[in-house]
Amino acid sequence: MNETTESPAVKLTGLTKSFGANQVVQPLDLEIGRNEFFSILGPSGCGKTTLMRMITGFETPSGGSVELDGKNVDSVPTKSRDLNMLFQSYALFPHLSVYENVAFELRVRRTPKREIDGRVQDALALVRLQAFAERKPAELSGGQRQRVALARAVVGRPAVVLLDEPLGALDQKLRKEMQFELKRMQREVGITFIYVTHDQEEALTMSDRIAVMSEGRVLQVASPTEIYDAPASRFVATFIGSCNVLDGAVSADGRGVVVPGLGELNAAVPADARPGSGVTLAIRPERVTLSPATTVAATAPLGGVAGTLVERVFLGDEWTFHVRLDSDVVMTVSVPSGQAAAALGAIPDGAPVLLSWAAADARVLPADGSTTAAPSSAPLSSEVSA
Amino acid sequence: MDRLTSWIARAVFLFLYLPIAALIVYSFNSSEVSYRFDGFTFRWYAELFADRMLLEALRTSAVVGVIAALVATVIGFLTAFALVRFRVKGRAFFVGAILIPLIVPEIVLGVSLLTVFSTAGIPTGLLTLVLGHVVITLPLATLVLMGAMSSLDPSLTEAATDLGASPWVTFRRVLFPLLRPSILAAFLLSFTTSFSNIVISTFTAGVGTTTLPLRIYSTLRTGLTPELNALGTLLVVATLGVILAVGVSQMRRILAGPTTTP
Repeated sequence: MNETTESPAVKLTGLTKSFGANQVVQPLDLEIGRNEFFSILGPSGCGKTTLMRMITGFETPSGGSVELDGKNVDSVPTKSRDLNMLFQSYALFPHLSVYENVAFELRVRRTPKREIDGRVQDALALVRLQAFAERKPAELSGGQRQRVALARAVVGRPAVVLLDEPLGALDQKLRKEMQFELKRMQREVGITFIYVTHDQEEALTMSDRIAVMSEGRVLQVASPTEIYDAPASRFVATFIGSCNVLDGAVSADGRGVVVPGLGELNAAVPADARPGSGVTLAIRPERVTLSPATTVAATAPLGGVAGTLVERVFLGDEWTFHVRLDSDVVMTVSVPSGQAAAALGAIPDGAPVLLSWAAADARVLPADGSTTAAPSSAPLSSEVSA
Repeated sequence: MDRLTSWIARAVFLFLYLPIAALIVYSFNSSEVSYRFDGFTFRWYAELFADRMLLEALRTSAVVGVIAALVATVIGFLTAFALVRFRVKGRAFFVGAILIPLIVPEIVLGVSLLTVFSTAGIPTGLLTLVLGHVVITLPLATLVLMGAMSSLDPSLTEAATDLGASPWVTFRRVLFPLLRPSILAAFLLSFTTSFSNIVISTFTAGVGTTTLPLRIYSTLRTGLTPELNALGTLLVVATLGVILAVGVSQMRRILAGPTTTP
């Protein structure tokens, strides 16, 4: 593991930042692999921007160290770090043409003149803006400006590009297009992308791995599917996608979760869970099966829950049903529109219904209030200490 | 109502430009008194260029103006940069302190400058004139540049740093080109303020360093001559020349503020 070719693109060890008494980034360890599309996802104020600025060198860490490509860069200034940043405002130089914006780094770093043109053209080709080389940034649309900023960030072939909410200023439709474009470009140039965002959809669609942050801590680092299917905490479960959460305790036999007012529910209780310990049950709305409660007593599946259909909402691609349980908690069930939803059309609002789910789909998480990350079950290459 | 406002606008224009028009017309007046127009002559221009003392005063004013404006613009740029970009301790105090020379009556500044110079044993002359003029032009230059800088996206300098630029390269390739109109505005504003100053100059000028306004003021005792009309006309022409040289488009950019990333 000592060979440079084996070392991760970015390695953070005990990295932390405080402003006065306010610790905005708690000490954290993180490894980001080569050519990885890595997202740092969290609500605004969670410390993700500060974390990114420490990697770039704009912010001096209060403790810990940053390694790029196996080399410690704690005393290396921003301008000499082998990484570039794509700013939220794009920060294109308004007095320079698109071409000169992209050529800026090459000129500053005294790249041989004969090389500059070819590399600028390659970068412009990557973002499909060759025809706009002579335009000024003010003459471009938001999406085009963003692509210029990307071309400028990759033209010097850095090891890492950090992107600070780059799609924030674009409208919804353009944002979706750019998500795929960014992923395509990242694969094409083979550069590690560290993508900072508060948008869970962006993180899920583009990333190889996601680090979920809240209040200065990294709560979980895992692939998008794992983050979604096996969230490590209540925060992760509810921040990414929508999720039904029920508070309860592990049952005496350790096979289910007892929720006050509902009895014992079907759940994937980990083998090491202590009976009686407080837990949170997290179930995705689309993993819940809704059925008419005509034969409740006779055929209720194990762990099924009875409730009353309160209302239904049509969202185009799916229907969302709100069901009030006996404990007065409202659960959400989503059903793809089409035949499945049509079959449920016969159930009138106010009618008794039955909810059920597979045990594996009911995740058992540490009880509410705990922010301790449970070790994720299958990390790709790193563990988070928290 | 519309007609009324349009007439008021015309009256205001007349009020503003009539004195300048009169100045130009009477600079070609062959009569020695200004209430009568006798005929056309270049005599006053000839006398002006023969008046060594007046020309010497013009040169002094130009030299003091250029040096004071340069010093004010450079220091003003650095001050503005520090106050806009860094979380300097006591920032509010410094911003307020910069404004004080603008608020304090000039006559008070003049007296205190003279006190300082005589206490320090600095003889009045070109140096004290320049120092005095820097005191009154520095706040102007700083304010103009602070306004321009705070409307620039702070990410621009970070982006330049990120792309490998040293602070000097960032200044030369990013900040200076973007702030050029404002730097020019700060310089011109400082120059004209210095060039037309009379109160500070009264206290800080020494023997042999009489500025143009002081010279003109002193001729009042012997009566104004049409020669001064000729000088005034030449200054108006010079000013127009500067405006044309800077370019009408450039002036528009100065008035509209610096260009920023939308």
